[in-house]
Amino acid sequence: MQNEKQLVSKVLVLDEDRTHADSLKAFCEECALIGIRPQQGGTANVMAILKSNVDLGGILLYENYGGQAATGLQLAREIHARRPELPIFLRRDSVSSVAGFAEKDAAMFRCAYTLADLQQLRATLDSSIFSRIYPNDLVRGITEMTRASLATLFRNCEVDVETPYLVKDRIIYGEVFTLVAIESNWCRGYMMLQAAEEAVLGLLRREPGKGEENITFRDLNSVLGEATNLIWGSFKNRYAGQLENKDATQLTQVPIIINHQRRYISFGSEDAQLCLKYTLRQKDCPDALPVPIFQRFVFNLNWSPDEFKENPSVESLVDSGELELF
Amino acid sequence: MAQVLVVDDSSTVRNEVCDFLKANGLQVASAVDGKDGLDKLKSDPAIKLVVSDVNMPNMDGLTMAEKIRGDLKNNAVNIIMLTTENSPSMKERGKAAGIKGWIVKPFNGAAVIGSLKKLVA
Repeated sequence: MQNEKQLVSKVLVLDEDRTHADSLKAFCEECALIGIRPQQGGTANVMAILKSNVDLGGILLYENYGGQAATGLQLAREIHARRPELPIFLRRDSVSSVAGFAEKDAAMFRCAYTLADLQQLRATLDSSIFSRIYPNDLVRGITEMTRASLATLFRNCEVDVETPYLVKDRIIYGEVFTLVAIESNWCRGYMMLQAAEEAVLGLLRREPGKGEENITFRDLNSVLGEATNLIWGSFKNRYAGQLENKDATQLTQVPIIINHQRRYISFGSEDAQLCLKYTLRQKDCPDALPVPIFQRFVFNLNWSPDEFKENPSVESLVDSGELELF
Repeated sequence: MAQVLVVDDSSTVRNEVCDFLKANGLQVASAVDGKDGLDKLKSDPAIKLVVSDVNMPNMDGLTMAEKIRGDLKNNAVNIIMLTTENSPSMKERGKAAGIKGWIVKPFNGAAVIGSLKKLVA
């Protein structure tokens, strides 16, 4: 196993109690959680956040959020109905359990905790958000190869990447996403790239040599497809061992479900997905809005990080782009 | 009449490579997959060099190369693979099919144009 550094995850904090805000903030930092609070309270506001693309790992909810007893419970019902994949951790005033709730309501919560018993919350966070270990070398390598691939295709852009994080939600960002199967002897799943169409088209239209009027969504499809191809090719050459002695017909598959109306995609796995956000900035137009591209890795069919290793041949490979004559 | 046939299912790569080769004075045709590549090669005997991707729908680049040598019995055309693939087993299969060389994507025209021009001479 390579060195393992815990990734971060974003949680929506629905807890207005200012007297405990500092201890909750310190706890989040200690647990590698990035707390996000709504600007304004109210169910509509919370649901609007959940409809947007925040890439959450879970929700910390206070039982009296909204200022009255049981308003938190009602909000939890609405959140759970809309986004059942998001684990809800309920802070209670007096008991670290869901005692007193109806069975159906109790099932909505991953755990209940009090501020006097944060260790219970921590244990549940570890098992529900941070249960999967992504080797540091793998995450670093992914960011390197993705930045290089995007820089090749968007030559007029600087490509930055934010701190990688874990997500539990299944909301699709933007209008276009690519999907490629990842197959190796230590992992099997998918990689997705997600982007907003008009923003990326704007970048392509500004690439040198491109006629602005000639660029259409098909060009965008092709560029994102090629980015996906380049990243998967780099991943395969660097990390993917061969699927030895495995007949392709014997490999398991599970259905992937896409609901366009809900902008929802499910790979069947409950495990947290590795998510990376890249930002493309035009070199010659610093005032232009940065364009995000989201990348997700969903290792839903096999995940054996103990067997992860870089391919030994990687150092002897001919440099990319050069001709190796036979 | 083209000198070079570029075979890739990605229009981004096809356009990039074709534009670069044309800008360097070569006559270029393109195909969207291995099957299309075989058809284009059959219909244009002037083609001296095929630059092809490996992973493509309908027919992959290595199968196309094998068919160029086998079914078309064309041993004169030079074949270069331009691909993200870099596995020794694939390269061995390419060598067995009489492929001249291998370029790992992304395409860096400046690094290879001299060699490509020699292969069409």
